[in-house]
Amino acid sequence: MNESYKIISSSILFWFSQKKWFVYSIIISIFLLNLTTPVGLTVPAYHSLIILLLVFMLVTFEPIPFPAIALLTLVLQVVLGVAPPNVVASSFMNDAVLFVMGSLMFAIAIVHQGLDIRLAKLIIKIFGRSKRMFLAGLMTISAVLSSFLGEHTVIAIMLPIGLSVIKNIDTQQSDGKNAVLLTLFSIAYGTIIGSIGTPSGGARNVIMINYLQEFSNVHIDYLKWMKHAYPILIIQLIVAYFVLQLTFPSSLNNIKMRGFNKNVGKTDVKKNINHLFSCLIIVGIVSSWFAFNDIYGLGIIALAGALTFMIFGMISWEEINKNTNWGVILLFAATISLGFQINETGASSWLVMKFNELLATLPSSNSMNVSWSIMAVLSGLTANFFTSSATVSLIGPMAIELHPTDISFALSSAIASGFSFLTVISSPTAMILYSTGLVSTKMFFRVGILMFCISIIILYLMSQFYWVTL
Amino acid sequence: MKILIAIGGREFSKPTLDLGMKIANSFKSSTTIAYVGKKISQFSEKDVSVVHQNLDDRELYRPGIRTLEWAYDFLISKKYIEEKDSNKFNDYLLVDEENSRMKVLLKGQQSDKIDLIMRTGEIIEQLKNEVETNKHDITIIGGGGNKGIHQKLVQFIDSSVFVVKNYSVNKKYRILLPINESKGSDMAIETAINFAKSYKLDVEIVSVPEGKKSIEEVEKILLKTKDKFLKNKIKASTKLISGSAVNSIVNHAKDDSIVILGVSPKNPIMKYFFGSKPLSIAQKCNCPVLITK
Repeated sequence: MNESYKIISSSILFWFSQKKWFVYSIIISIFLLNLTTPVGLTVPAYHSLIILLLVFMLVTFEPIPFPAIALLTLVLQVVLGVAPPNVVASSFMNDAVLFVMGSLMFAIAIVHQGLDIRLAKLIIKIFGRSKRMFLAGLMTISAVLSSFLGEHTVIAIMLPIGLSVIKNIDTQQSDGKNAVLLTLFSIAYGTIIGSIGTPSGGARNVIMINYLQEFSNVHIDYLKWMKHAYPILIIQLIVAYFVLQLTFPSSLNNIKMRGFNKNVGKTDVKKNINHLFSCLIIVGIVSSWFAFNDIYGLGIIALAGALTFMIFGMISWEEINKNTNWGVILLFAATISLGFQINETGASSWLVMKFNELLATLPSSNSMNVSWSIMAVLSGLTANFFTSSATVSLIGPMAIELHPTDISFALSSAIASGFSFLTVISSPTAMILYSTGLVSTKMFFRVGILMFCISIIILYLMSQFYWVTL
Repeated sequence: MKILIAIGGREFSKPTLDLGMKIANSFKSSTTIAYVGKKISQFSEKDVSVVHQNLDDRELYRPGIRTLEWAYDFLISKKYIEEKDSNKFNDYLLVDEENSRMKVLLKGQQSDKIDLIMRTGEIIEQLKNEVETNKHDITIIGGGGNKGIHQKLVQFIDSSVFVVKNYSVNKKYRILLPINESKGSDMAIETAINFAKSYKLDVEIVSVPEGKKSIEEVEKILLKTKDKFLKNKIKASTKLISGSAVNSIVNHAKDDSIVILGVSPKNPIMKYFFGSKPLSIAQKCNCPVLITK
């Protein structure tokens, strides 16, 4: 056989084996485009739903880079007549996208300052009386910090502390292995749970706030979100502590609370000043989120945080540029833009109408409760296979459309999207934990399924009995 | 000759590493020991990278380094590397190279024949990149895990592929060399001669008459091949076996066989969708199998 033919066909096959989901997604989209537009849907609305499905498949299976998915989303919106170019361009950038950009940069600047050692010392000072208290402290501090600074910042700071204390544990013995898992899961669950607490805890929260403002003209400020979400966070933390203690019973004998000491470089005056300034900037930014989010928006304040670190020379642009995930920013911008078009074209109303029609066929029951449950579980599950922020940016409009005047639907959808306990791809925390090689996907799921179910129940009870009192 | 040994979990990789290093030593070839880390979702890849940098700064081993350290200690324990105070794994330097490749440099490392590297991503893509960039001749990989991996490796990697299945260090092995008249078989014969010479292994050459070939013609090919081995002072025997090529070779191979096969001359597209005889043999045999290219 001709050698060059073999090489070419082998290269095409390799490309296909790596990109097969791209090919399948395109074939499915073309097939759907050739079907008759469903009754009640306009052509642009139908096309926006096809793009939504395409984005779901491409983001889930990652056959092409995220920036390529983002660009494809924008191009298709215009080419398929979903919206004119200027409308697509204007929906591409808003405060939620600025928040994603600012919070990613801000996180890199904070992590760069090396605050973990100082934080570890603080945790030991407060919670160092017993090893179980120490782990509870790790979990609580992770949750509180994550609620304000976001998951990716906190896991990057807390993981080295966790790995330091379990560094020399023999994982061949079950007691040692459980101690390792207990430590790592305490940090991870604290971080994941914390991210629901405030708008700045995760991009999904900001995206939902933006959607509520745009679609229902309902404004939720920083404090109002906290009043709704923080009690859930606290209950979840307590439950998670006991779930982990029961799942990984360990004597904790091998945990060395001062294990990080070996890794402490000599602290000098410059470092101390740096740390002091860092803390001041962090406090300043968090306070501004509280006080000025109505005026400046969360995104601009987050950007101001990164800007301050750069102006004071505490981090270089090169460092920020190297470590910022520009692909994710582009993708979020594109999915938010698509979310807007899904709402504008009436596709979300049509989906909700179909959903309500389906509910009407079910045996008579409290339709509000059923639709809430389906929406919350669907948001939670989708987020676990698709990541939370992208989930909210795409199905957020539908959650609002279900009950435009009742914020409990929108809030529940955003909060349930933060229950990334099932898969390692669901959040940066889960992926970082997985990347240590110490936690398998099966293990993550096994522990997570219980936490996920309990979290949905807590969310339901709080929305029924606590939120109505606010 | 350049050899690539892909390792994964520690205990499972022992036989792969041991056999790989024996081959590397006997051919005096330069060797790359590669650990391919888990694929990271694009959503989190930068976050993971920042955390890993942080772990480096805190002198906490980043994932994968422990496996490479284990591999290095294993090489020292088996005397593939001479142990000295200056070449302990304690002081390592990670050099971030392009395309998800990181090289581990050890202070006082005297051998430039062994490279320890880490890659992150989809295993086939990473090993393919490694082979293409560094022109490895043989890729050695363990036999466990997903069988589809071996098929894809053979299909897409531009080197011979050695699947180390059920290998025991203390067992005395013999080479089982199934042949026909294909170009792939010629390469397999050449490789088998080199292996048998270096290891002082006996060779059993087998063939399964298929198609229009008469038994006499097949026997002639067997004898001609046997002569090649005898000329190289290698003990060789021949056997004609009947039945379907894949099943009869799989049944004939024993636990102490190292099967060496040529790659199928079939169209790559047909191979991808319908497989090939060497691939089926490699998948079904419960012993080490080398598919030469």
